[in-house]
Amino acid sequence: MLNDHLLSIVTLGPTVFAVLLLFIPMRYKTVHRIVTLMTSIVMFAFSTRLWTGFNPDDPGFQFVDRFAWIPQFGINYHVGVDGVSILLVLLTTLLLPVVVLAAWSLNIEHIKSLHITFLLLTTGMIGTFVSLDLFLFYVFWEITLIPMYFIVGIWGGPRRIYAAVKFFIFTMAGSVFMLVAILYLAWFHHQQTGVWSYSYLDFLETAPLLPTSGGLFAPGLLVFAAFLLAFAIKVPIFPLHTWLPDAHVEAPSTGSVLLAGVLLKMGTYGLLRFNRALLPDAWEIFAPLLMVLAVIGIIYGALVAMVQPDVKKLVAYSSVSHLGFVVLGLAAGTQASTQGAILQMVNHGLTTGALFLLVGMLYERTYTRLIEQYGGLAEVMPIFTGIFLVVTLGSIGLPGLNGFVGEFLILAGSWAVHPIAVVFAGLGIILSAVYMLWMVQRVFWGPVHIAANYALPDISLREVFVVAPLMVLIVWIGIYPNTFLEPMEASVRLLLAR
Amino acid sequence: MLTPTHAEIVAIAPELILTITASLALIIEAFLPRLRRYLSGLTMLAIAGAIWARLSLELPGAVWAGMLRIDQLTAFVDTYILIAAFFAVWMAGPFMRRTTAECGEFYALILFATVGSMVMACSVNLLTIFLGLELLSIPLYVLNAFYRRYEVSVEAGIKYFVVGAFASGFVAYGMALLYGGSASTNLVEIGHQVVEFGSLGPLTAVGFAMVVGGLAFKLALVPCHAWAPDVYQGSPTPVTAFLSVVPKGAALIVLLRMVEGMDLLQVSPRWVLAASVIAVASQTLGNVVAIVQRDIKRMLAYSGIAHMGYALVAVIVAGTDGGAAVLVYLAAYTVMNMGAFACVAQLSEREDRPHLINDLSGQGYNRPVAALALTISLFALSGIPPFIGFTAKFVVFRAAINEGFVWLAVIGVINSLISVFYYLRVIYVLYMRPLPERQPDYGFYLPICTAASVAALGALLLGIYPTAVLAAAQSAILSLAR
Repeated sequence: MLNDHLLSIVTLGPTVFAVLLLFIPMRYKTVHRIVTLMTSIVMFAFSTRLWTGFNPDDPGFQFVDRFAWIPQFGINYHVGVDGVSILLVLLTTLLLPVVVLAAWSLNIEHIKSLHITFLLLTTGMIGTFVSLDLFLFYVFWEITLIPMYFIVGIWGGPRRIYAAVKFFIFTMAGSVFMLVAILYLAWFHHQQTGVWSYSYLDFLETAPLLPTSGGLFAPGLLVFAAFLLAFAIKVPIFPLHTWLPDAHVEAPSTGSVLLAGVLLKMGTYGLLRFNRALLPDAWEIFAPLLMVLAVIGIIYGALVAMVQPDVKKLVAYSSVSHLGFVVLGLAAGTQASTQGAILQMVNHGLTTGALFLLVGMLYERTYTRLIEQYGGLAEVMPIFTGIFLVVTLGSIGLPGLNGFVGEFLILAGSWAVHPIAVVFAGLGIILSAVYMLWMVQRVFWGPVHIAANYALPDISLREVFVVAPLMVLIVWIGIYPNTFLEPMEASVRLLLAR
Repeated sequence: MLTPTHAEIVAIAPELILTITASLALIIEAFLPRLRRYLSGLTMLAIAGAIWARLSLELPGAVWAGMLRIDQLTAFVDTYILIAAFFAVWMAGPFMRRTTAECGEFYALILFATVGSMVMACSVNLLTIFLGLELLSIPLYVLNAFYRRYEVSVEAGIKYFVVGAFASGFVAYGMALLYGGSASTNLVEIGHQVVEFGSLGPLTAVGFAMVVGGLAFKLALVPCHAWAPDVYQGSPTPVTAFLSVVPKGAALIVLLRMVEGMDLLQVSPRWVLAASVIAVASQTLGNVVAIVQRDIKRMLAYSGIAHMGYALVAVIVAGTDGGAAVLVYLAAYTVMNMGAFACVAQLSEREDRPHLINDLSGQGYNRPVAALALTISLFALSGIPPFIGFTAKFVVFRAAINEGFVWLAVIGVINSLISVFYYLRVIYVLYMRPLPERQPDYGFYLPICTAASVAALGALLLGIYPTAVLAAAQSAILSLAR
């Protein structure tokens, strides 16, 4: 019974609790915090059951839950996980308690609404990863916009309204065309089979039949382009990335964690799940373009990150660079590179999430994020510095930590397809070491040149708990990635065989 | 002399209930003015009774010598017209009391207008359609100018009157031509002739075009939209709410009956082209001009122009898919618009002043319920899931794509993207701007807040579970085809 609906519980549970929070008066801030933390921990516990009950040899969808929703159009509530999505679901459920715990220190008036938006956002994010019906997928995809809009717009920095609106409009601009594409696919499915359906599994049969030859306006290419636009904006792929630095810098650090950790992965996940699997012919045509854009993104993101005076902005641009690797791995499309790309999605969620959290802790102590305002913090905050360094090294791909595994798999897998792209991407790894280590050097080493910084307290116990889960996984993936690569292998093989 | 049968009387029971209540309201106002404040309750009760009557009584089909068709389509349309009227009266009670303009005539006029639109929606005869149109329009001219001491309100009344009279003239002349072309006033008969003939004859074509022109005024479609912003802004807010939904719903159903009856999608490529141009122009103009509006009522007026543009796409497609899409769209539009206007009525300081969007700064925390209801209504209007507005747009664009109008769907989604911009602006003003130094004095009206919350909750729940509305719309459209 529990196992039958386990996935639905994990997906919709947060929303149920969000509704519950509505009825608790605003002034009981601690109650809101505790309830949300408990919810998130319970949800994580449920999701570990997904992990333990997952059969890695089965490439299909597991924990499938399905019932008719809008039978007139053949729309079902239909969810399930396979090897591609399970890690992302777990990443989401892991980051939620981390974020709630990190928000503990926020001394703001609207704790209640903040926690409600967290919970609603979680439902949207998990739902996006587990939907097997494209209508349902679109609904979840769009739902994430509303809470994120409020998180950036209400609790963000000085230019928060601009950033929030820009985020909303950019993402919406991509997704409205995706809606047309989904409707077109459903119509096409009806043409082919005479049945109305929005099911992903049904589309797997008919969508590849869309003609891709016949000029630029071949339906297959247009549908592909519509999906690509939606996902490319979300990832973001160069040159559609301009909303990202604004949103990241203005968002509160908890929002940045969810944005970088999970929301961006919705884009790369969509590329793999829909563009690659539904329209393999068009993928062949677009793959070189994606590869070029990925490499440009890797190098461009790294170069821009290098010159940022603001730590958070630096981390934000490094996201553009890291996501470039993921897109490269997907575009290359070999077994190794795709598995590497999926692992790298998780890695990026962990390391960038941790970096945003750590930067947020610094900001709470100093109310600045400018690199020049720091210096010599290693002397004042030794433990914090150690943690920051480990995360940084994980992010730039030091062997033994998580980033190395992902990047290595991507580059090794892509080499067979396009060695030149790999050469340029390798340049990106060097650049990432440059900008990250240079930043660490300016922030933590050297003399303390601002007197007030002598008084900074080191990391607190609560903050250790915030980053500890991420640290454990950063090391675990670095040392024994097989735990995470094994479950996805069969699913990826099946997906790439299409 | 035609003697109505028992069944025919029963068939128009909802209309009768409303008419009797309207007369009662006038009598109470004249002889027992002390009972005035119970009138809004009485009116709501009557409307609820009418809804109950329509949904529970038998639907006999063609009655009154074939002039009216009381079928599932009528039941669907009547239901949302009556729900809109119910909401308008719900918010009108405290609203009119506050502005000391409450009187029995107000409720009587609203009821008469409701009956008019219901007659229009169930008519299949040109004469009764025109009767319904006039019965709808004349009370509205008065209602628009109900604040006779306020210049803006009088201006709204006169504008709507002049434009409306002009439109009625168009409709009447067009109907005469339609009759000249087909020797019948019955829509079904006219439709049969057109389908048999395979194209619109010259008289029928001109007549149809003029009727559409007249209806386009009521629908505020481009290029007949210019009255909308001024009239929306000047009318009392409950009247604006009524005006933004009820006449449009009735006029669009008349249009749908004609288009479906004559099978214009197949018969007349010229109509398809012209209507597509009008739909695209309405969407684009409505959404682009709404961006620069500073008054929320004017903004909603332009948003209404755009929404009728989307709905017209569904009328063009017609058939079972398109027809059901029209109905779903109108039902959704009713819920969302009523929610939005109820919030405007609550968050309004003085009726003769503009309702500036910027005055709403920070109200998200000062008036959480009304602000949340407004937020939900606006998200719904912008077509974002899981609200009913998304379902409605989904159904419309789905119908368009299934009939091969992919380009209309693409233009439609681009337009809903543009619309997000101005809806979002209200939301960020509500939540992300600080409270101004001089806090507006909004008062608190429990009935209005309740109405707003119910509408917003409806927009959410119907969005999550639209199956029932869809099923009702689909079976309603099947009764039209029969």
